[in-house]
Amino acid sequence: MIKTIAKPQEKKVVGCGECRSTCQSACKTSCTVGNQSCERITREQKIREDK
Amino acid sequence: MIHVFSYRDKHYVYDTGSGSLHECDERTARYLRGEDVSLTEEELADIEALKREGLLFAPETDVRPVKSNEMKALCLHVCHDCNLRCKYCFADEGAYHAAREMMSIEVARKAIDFLIERSGSRRVLEVDFFGGEPLMNFDVVKETVSYAKAEAAKRGKKFLFTTTTNGLLLDDEKIAFLNEEMENVVLSLDGRKEVHDAVRKTVNGKGSFDAVIDKIKKFVKIRGDRHYYVRGTFTAKNLDFSRDVLFLADQGFESLSVEPVVTDIPDLAIREEHLPAIEREYERLCDEYIRREAEGRGFSFFHFHIDLEGGPCLQKRVSACGAGNEYFSVVPNGDLYPCHQFAGDAEWRMGSVLTGELDGSLREKFASSCLFTRKKCGDCFAKFICSGGCSANNYHFNGDIDEPYAVTCAMMKKRAECAMHVLASRKAREN
Repeated sequence: MIKTIAKPQEKKVVGCGECRSTCQSACKTSCTVGNQSCERITREQKIREDK
Repeated sequence: MIHVFSYRDKHYVYDTGSGSLHECDERTARYLRGEDVSLTEEELADIEALKREGLLFAPETDVRPVKSNEMKALCLHVCHDCNLRCKYCFADEGAYHAAREMMSIEVARKAIDFLIERSGSRRVLEVDFFGGEPLMNFDVVKETVSYAKAEAAKRGKKFLFTTTTNGLLLDDEKIAFLNEEMENVVLSLDGRKEVHDAVRKTVNGKGSFDAVIDKIKKFVKIRGDRHYYVRGTFTAKNLDFSRDVLFLADQGFESLSVEPVVTDIPDLAIREEHLPAIEREYERLCDEYIRREAEGRGFSFFHFHIDLEGGPCLQKRVSACGAGNEYFSVVPNGDLYPCHQFAGDAEWRMGSVLTGELDGSLREKFASSCLFTRKKCGDCFAKFICSGGCSANNYHFNGDIDEPYAVTCAMMKKRAECAMHVLASRKAREN
């Protein structure tokens, strides 16, 4: 048995550089890009929610 | 590349190339590890289907990093002094191996100008008020926020501010200001009183727990649902740090981060021999984390977040942390360093916001540093999650920003596995 738990959504825009600086997070010593969100996806989701 | 790992009685396969996470039974896990196990035709067909979908044994990316000369963020050291004398402080108890001093508003304004002028088309800029203890220079923090907002408005930009504080100077005025102006506030608190007090001392040598706990609680209560982190440090003295995380959660703090210390002080430093205990501790924390979440009294632990579905694009994931290229630290006299962990080290001085100079060769060194220049990361399953780790840690432990520190890597990998297990457990409950 093998089942998929999670897979990345296809992103319309990549490499735009809008993401926040990795080091401005809670840790300041254990920078972990995987904890971050995509700023575009977050922003677009917020726009949809606001509508 | 795939990474097959087991957590308690669960078995997972993380596909590094696609960033997908799968759960499987023990036989499939053993088969995927290369053991001599016979699977049924149906089981083999499931594996082949995932391969065809590009979710298993997917080729790894050859995308290039986001390479831009646009600046995004500054860590503004508004105060190279501190009202605490924490034993493990990487910043020399706030002084950064130099005279204790405050940043003037003139230098702060120049720093804001410097960032805006070099931010190109980027609209959102970030400033972290850092120290030492930044609230010791509260007037400059306030004036800088006011100035930055006004300048940003003129240029069609927006600032997101963060403050990192030990909480000692929090009062009604400062709480109101931080809540109004800060996108995020990081409050330093190590956990249990005896753990906190053993290292986080006042100038007079007393433990500081009693002096900060009520202030931080008050701040968080007023903060409501806006971003904050109660952020602790664990050392070799409290390898049972899951108790500290849970203690903080029991105080009502819902957004937590507890980090391994960065120090070479022998009795505090995390060393390779501590790793088995630390890995067990992350598992203990993970088990309780999931249990509390299932009972509806969960909290957020920074390192157990992993966004495999909507996280950063691959270009970002291979781009390293951005220090020394898109992110800089500015110390009180206006000098620039790649990040706060390099501040005060003359070898890494990159320029000054007062003169506008910026060392192009050093910047290029950092801009060129990425996952692909960190050769040891090549065969690591977590490389697209950690992006090659912290340049400063790499340098301080191994003398090279591109040489990952094995102890940090081991902790990172364990946290990633725990985060994946948390994600799978959450999905199982939702279904």
